[in-house]
Amino acid sequence: MDLAALKTQLKNFVQSMFEEGVLDNQFSQIQALQDSTNPNFVEEVITLFCNDAERIINEINRNLGYQNVDFSNLDSYVHQLKGSSSSIGANRLKLACANLRQASDERNKEGCLQALQLITCEYCLLRRKFQALLHLERSIVELETNQK
Amino acid sequence: MTPTLPSGDQASDQDNWDNGRLAHKRQLLTEIILRNRLTALVVDGDTTCRVLEQLLLHSYGVQTQGVDNGRDAIALIASGVKFNLIIIDMILSVLNGLEATRQIRDMGVHCKMLGVTACSGESERQAFLAAGVDVFIEKPLDPEHLVPILRELDGQ
Repeated sequence: MDLAALKTQLKNFVQSMFEEGVLDNQFSQIQALQDSTNPNFVEEVITLFCNDAERIINEINRNLGYQNVDFSNLDSYVHQLKGSSSSIGANRLKLACANLRQASDERNKEGCLQALQLITCEYCLLRRKFQALLHLERSIVELETNQK
Repeated sequence: MTPTLPSGDQASDQDNWDNGRLAHKRQLLTEIILRNRLTALVVDGDTTCRVLEQLLLHSYGVQTQGVDNGRDAIALIASGVKFNLIIIDMILSVLNGLEATRQIRDMGVHCKMLGVTACSGESERQAFLAAGVDVFIEKPLDPEHLVPILRELDGQ
């Protein structure tokens, strides 16, 4: 596939993520921050976000496994995940976090477990799509490098 | 750096892509030119948020430092480092954002403070403003909120 076609494929793929509500405009702003001084910025931020998100989801899972849930501890994890989700533009994941926050506020363990399931699903979807996006970006960079 | 635009009928797909991207960037990151050298401290326990907040500030020419907890923020300010702007998350480890804000103000620091949080409600807003922040926003930090603050700090 030639360079222009790959770039079009990437653009359309990202657009589809916006249309599905997986990403919102905040991600466009992150893309806009990538330039020649930060050529791998998007990949670095995605990697950072995914590492943190997985760690937090595991911690939330662990917390909800206890008979007596420490909801204030849970709150701070949810806050962190919602914050990073909204900062990277992960719209559906951010909304799923709001569900967990509400259940946690209500001290509703069952509700929290259901909300965590949704968060896990949304995160897995997002991670798959990010992996595909980064694969396209790397292919573009490789082609551009070969053409120089 | 202003890109050299090719004439319309000679523009390659790549040129169109690059120019489109630049226009898109300009649209998204409202351009301002700062006349003064501004400095900012970002206090955010979440690495992704802190990196993005610092880079957004940096893209406007603001020199930034970042710490991930309230205690380190207090220590840095107590060491004499001055900032034009402090961006501080409400939920922090070691020393939370509310208490850190109070202590920063008690130290006589009068710079602009922007409180950020992932989960905003009226009670959070009131608490953070009462603690001493000047502005309170829900994450993400975006140009729409940041640019007017930077213009004000720059005397524009």
